[in-house]
Amino acid sequence: MSELTHGFRIIPEDCTGCMSCMRACPTHAIRVKRGGATVIPELCIDCGSCLGVCATGAITATTITFAELDRFKYKVAVASPALFTQFGMKDTPAQVGQALLALGFDAVWKYAVDIELIDRAIRDYVQKWPGPFPLISNSCPVVVRLVQVIYPTMVGQLIRIEAPREIAGRELKRHYSQMMGLTPEDIAAIYIAPCQAKTISILHPAEGAGSHLDGAVSISQIYNDLLARMRKAPDGASAGKPEAGAGEWFISGSPEGEFPSLSREHYLPLQGLSDIIKVLNDVEKGKIRNVEFLECHACQGACIGGNLTVENLYIARSKYLRLVAARTDPSPEFLGEVDRRFAEEDFALRAPLKPRNTEGKDVDLRQRVERKKKASEYLKALPLLNCGLCGAPTCRSHADDAAMGRDDIRECVFLSPDRIDVLRDVYRRGGRHGG
Amino acid sequence: MPAELMRESYPIQGGDFDTAGEISGELKTILRDLGIEAGSLRRIVVVAFEAEMNVVMYARRGTLTFILTDDAVDLEIRDDGPGIPDLELAFQEGYSTASDEMRELGFGFGMGLPNMRKNSDDLRVETEVGKGTTVFARIRLDAHE
Repeated sequence: MSELTHGFRIIPEDCTGCMSCMRACPTHAIRVKRGGATVIPELCIDCGSCLGVCATGAITATTITFAELDRFKYKVAVASPALFTQFGMKDTPAQVGQALLALGFDAVWKYAVDIELIDRAIRDYVQKWPGPFPLISNSCPVVVRLVQVIYPTMVGQLIRIEAPREIAGRELKRHYSQMMGLTPEDIAAIYIAPCQAKTISILHPAEGAGSHLDGAVSISQIYNDLLARMRKAPDGASAGKPEAGAGEWFISGSPEGEFPSLSREHYLPLQGLSDIIKVLNDVEKGKIRNVEFLECHACQGACIGGNLTVENLYIARSKYLRLVAARTDPSPEFLGEVDRRFAEEDFALRAPLKPRNTEGKDVDLRQRVERKKKASEYLKALPLLNCGLCGAPTCRSHADDAAMGRDDIRECVFLSPDRIDVLRDVYRRGGRHGG
Repeated sequence: MPAELMRESYPIQGGDFDTAGEISGELKTILRDLGIEAGSLRRIVVVAFEAEMNVVMYARRGTLTFILTDDAVDLEIRDDGPGIPDLELAFQEGYSTASDEMRELGFGFGMGLPNMRKNSDDLRVETEVGKGTTVFARIRLDAHE
């Protein structure tokens, strides 16, 4: 099985084995053994639920450091629209852009055009799609991975259009290599990300075709530095540096794209993993008809609620609404640019999306059936309390682990009462809250 | 006749729209965990759901049985409903005897049997008015994509 890389890592020394992450994981990908958490890579969908609940900060997002960017001659920031919702009511996107320049970026890409292009491409795609419906948006990498792992039958319904940030990366490389006389490889397109899932989608795209972006730094990672620069130099400290990209800083839809142009009764916007799972369960059974398009964001509040943002969702949303209200009608130049690029560019994903093989084709169907039967037998002996003391989130996952040879069924304290002494020992030393 | 690898039966409660679909959901989880290829899995789940809904809509009770062999899944859905007087008519797209109430709930668009036929490699219906209906569907595991 190919190596799966994820957007975060667990620092063993900081992990107390408290099991919060294991209980929060929607795909049951975490196990806690001997007081330490580990991840089953093939089940992890990079949703970041574990990061949010870890009390000791033992789970950290993988992003790149500024030092890693030095190998590029020209560094361009592509800021998630969520970034602009993170500051005070009076702070403008232009000021945030200036602060990014002051931080060391050579340019900031305004990507309203790219977002508009993808909005159009998706409307087009939905209209021309012969079925099956509904189509599912793919701009949230967690949603893509959720479908690949839990809903393999629906992978074909993920929209095969690049995310706006990817199109921005491609275009800005073209633009600056021409303007500066550099090769595209000299130019770094760095995404300012609201979550670790986007980071990993850049380092390891689900479709395996590579990314037009070269890395990501998170909003929370640079927040303090940006804030300091915004307060210190409100006007033009970085004058002389270009702030390119045609048109507006801010876009008409919600952060990371919404589709007000699609007809309401055939379009459902969904937010939050548990709600998405409910709806996708209904879709898989064929229960949802007459809906053509599901726009899914794993985070409540979509990307402004991302787990690497700083401001709380409700304040950020009110800032967002203010930004939307302040927006003027798109200029003729903006619309002209959209028309020109829409006619010239291809927005299709470069490689097909496939279901992730979670079971492993290492054994044949007969052996898999044997394993399943064994797991059902094991399950009968378990208390169905989902206490987690065996180190698996549910009795069912423990039974599956045991049947697959990942664990011993006797790890259950109901089957082996003396195991509680082992646990007492583990949690006394170093213990849940350091004793 | 290929060897039977697995067989499970589930009771279906007629008239219970609240839990309708749970059996197809359970079936999906089992077959997905077994690593059944996505194209076949999709067809199996569609057939199972349509059959389950027919029982919920028209019968007091029924059973869904699935049998897994090396190369196919057989579904057998048996109910004690009113039976189907004119099978040919029932297989026409859009033909439905569903009540307005059912339609309001989003069912009964007359696509049930046509959908089941479209998604299975072999479909057979045995029905007797006043007694009930049994649907036999076979979905091969290798035949799609």
